Amino acid sequence: MSVPASTPALEVRGLVKHYPGVKALDGVDLVVRQHEVLGLVGENGAGKSTLLKALVGLVVPDAGEIRVRGEAVKLRSVVDAADHGIGMVFQEQSLVPNLTAAENILLGGEGPGVRRGVYRWDTMRRLAQEQLDKIGSTIDPMVRTDALSFADRQMVEIAKVLRIEQRSQHPPVIVLDEPTSVLESKEIETLFAQIRRLREFASVVFVSHRLDEVLEVCDRVAVLRNGRSVGEVAAAGAVPRELHRMMIGSTGSDDHYHENAAAVVESGEPRLAVRGLSGSSFKDIDLDVAAGEIVAIVGVHGSGREDVCRALFGAEPVTAGEIRMDGKQVKISGTRAACAAGIGYVPAERKTEGMVGPLSVAENMTLAKQRARCAGPFVAPRKQAALVDRWIERLSIRTPGRDTPIQRLSGGNQQKVVLARWLVGGDIRLLLLDHPTRGLDIGARSEVYRLMRELAASGVATVLLADSLEEAIGMADRILVMNDGRVVSEVACPAGGKPSPLDLVKEML
Amino acid sequence: MSTPITLKPAAEPATGDSGPRLGRRLTGFMPLIALVALVAALAIADPGFLTQRSLTAVARTAAPLIVLAAAATLIVLCGGIDLSIAAMASLSTVLLALWLPHLGGLATPVVILAAAAIGAVQGVAHVLLRIPSFIVTLGGMSILSAVALVVSGAGTVRVVDDSTVKWLELYVGGYVPMSFVMALVVVALIALTLKLTPLRSWISATGYSESAARLAGTPVDLVKIGAFAVSGAGAGFAAIMLVSRQFSGGPTMADNLLLPAVAAIVVGGTAITGGHGSVWRSLAGAFVVTLLRVGLPIVGVPSAYEQILYGVIIVLAVTLTLDWSKVSISK
Repeated sequence: MSVPASTPALEVRGLVKHYPGVKALDGVDLVVRQHEVLGLVGENGAGKSTLLKALVGLVVPDAGEIRVRGEAVKLRSVVDAADHGIGMVFQEQSLVPNLTAAENILLGGEGPGVRRGVYRWDTMRRLAQEQLDKIGSTIDPMVRTDALSFADRQMVEIAKVLRIEQRSQHPPVIVLDEPTSVLESKEIETLFAQIRRLREFASVVFVSHRLDEVLEVCDRVAVLRNGRSVGEVAAAGAVPRELHRMMIGSTGSDDHYHENAAAVVESGEPRLAVRGLSGSSFKDIDLDVAAGEIVAIVGVHGSGREDVCRALFGAEPVTAGEIRMDGKQVKISGTRAACAAGIGYVPAERKTEGMVGPLSVAENMTLAKQRARCAGPFVAPRKQAALVDRWIERLSIRTPGRDTPIQRLSGGNQQKVVLARWLVGGDIRLLLLDHPTRGLDIGARSEVYRLMRELAASGVATVLLADSLEEAIGMADRILVMNDGRVVSEVACPAGGKPSPLDLVKEML
Repeated sequence: MSTPITLKPAAEPATGDSGPRLGRRLTGFMPLIALVALVAALAIADPGFLTQRSLTAVARTAAPLIVLAAAATLIVLCGGIDLSIAAMASLSTVLLALWLPHLGGLATPVVILAAAAIGAVQGVAHVLLRIPSFIVTLGGMSILSAVALVVSGAGTVRVVDDSTVKWLELYVGGYVPMSFVMALVVVALIALTLKLTPLRSWISATGYSESAARLAGTPVDLVKIGAFAVSGAGAGFAAIMLVSRQFSGGPTMADNLLLPAVAAIVVGGTAITGGHGSVWRSLAGAFVVTLLRVGLPIVGVPSAYEQILYGVIIVLAVTLTLDWSKVSISK
């Protein structure tokens, strides 16, 4: 059966999905043309995840239809979707780490790669190589996936997904769910080249929070808001602000990073002075941060910047070096010691490391500074209530109440509680922010930025590992570039005299 | 963003269902419902069951189990398990019987402290060597059993002068066994300590997500070692109750209490994965298990079937608690 080139590869009409109390999808329409890269954007909660899950059969919609090449289909499982040529590369990677790339690519579909229950390694290698060749990857199929970088593992995932070509005679539709969220710039370029390549023989749905990327790689961008399609734009000539406006329903602020509110950096004795700090993945780090200053550390994956950040918080062993706070040498033997020294840390993995999901907002907020809610050894309920309510109000945290489990809040509000955890003690001197805006929508990001400015203005020193170069440049007063475990350069980054991302990228590579 | 939590609308937190789900509420009451059902069933099967005499016997039997389970609950709340409690209690009965003639009244606190110290040592091994608690305490169980055999000469150690532990055999108000009252006191003490201090936050944070707890500066290691020490002390105290009842210590005297104690914890609804639960739940669980023990002969089931029952209820209870609590954590 031949399909006219004008028939969409995939078409969604009036898709509806209810969850108890929530309409996740409220009549979504979406068209993916053949050989097209379609961007899909929307704030958290706009319904992107649910829509993607419906496309690959993980969620069965309550109403509406999905048409593949003009034909209405019911997708009840990932296998169903694969039979119709739809496959997804998940945000959280799905490879088995202790198997080889070849085993992962062929997992569950080894075919002639297994005879009488035994692997035919030469066949396995050949079959896997065929998949890798499709995307022009040079990864050795016989290498264990846990030895590969995140970016390489993503390539393996794409090669794996392309196996659906064998199940359907038609060009496949590949869904990429936030594939760039943990990639560094160079890897993103490789991925984009890959996506353009995929377009030759497939259609691609690309989901990302980074609007500039979406516009760069996509042909067309569809925007979701509150479970509805609110419009689409041709990527050529469009600007991020236009998309942003559609996503939130109004124009975003011009001053996204609140640069007008940048604090005055205090001169004199630096708040934090690090000399010759070395650990397993970084060496001889010197770092000064003044009170009120925001210093961003940038670097590609594997530059060691995350480990430096954790080491400053006592969560990563240190082999040499000294740390001074306000001129006084401190010994950070562990996270307890770091807390006692007035250091706070916001981990990149909010859900697993930043917060304790089932515990209440109040408990999460006071976890690090128990003294703030206690009288002697005992928790003082009134003191706690007053303290927590005060911070809920000050940070405009949207929660039904202080006793609500934090996991019921939206990402941005969760992050504000995690930040508040370091503020309730009133003794915070240095904040280490490891990707504090990861996974947050634009509105929530903006609020986190504002909070960072306020804290800096109150004299808190900040070390920031930004989610993107733009964020680092927008927020920081100074940027350190790390490469292969060392600080390779330092770039001043004052308001009005910001460096360009390209200059930084050169240093990073 | 493709996280389960986004099922809640981002902009407006769901004010409507801030209370626990129906399922969670049901599991909350599960041990109580089971308890009432059991009492009713036993009362029907044997009208003589609801007499003061047999209820007193149930309370007496339950006492050591309550203490064992309540103390070990702390470790489960931290996300671990203590398999050494029964062996620890057996060893403690032997030590108590051996030390009573020399130390007199001091023997009781000394045995409890010794058991707490051994528990703490297991905790230190668990924390420092990063060995899973179930391996550490499995090894501990074997070692403690062997030590009990060696120091007791592989036989029962009779207590000639039991005047210092006899007080546990008194009856408060003439009906309520002192050992039972003491068990309730232990439960209340632990529960109150948790309720009134930051310990509860620390323990649940450790149990739900150890890395998050650590990165919030929670003294995770100390909390765990403390939990092991309390678990050991509980085993020591249970041993004193056993000795007071049997006038002797024996190297295997408490060994058959391991499964009932674990069963009591999980039947109470404390999640074996840590975080969710309480010592009160273990108290209810201990009642349920004791009633089953006492009740099986009443309804004519040979006691040989008892172990099968423990196996089944542990697996069933864990299945239920696991399912329910995960639903509310990750759905």
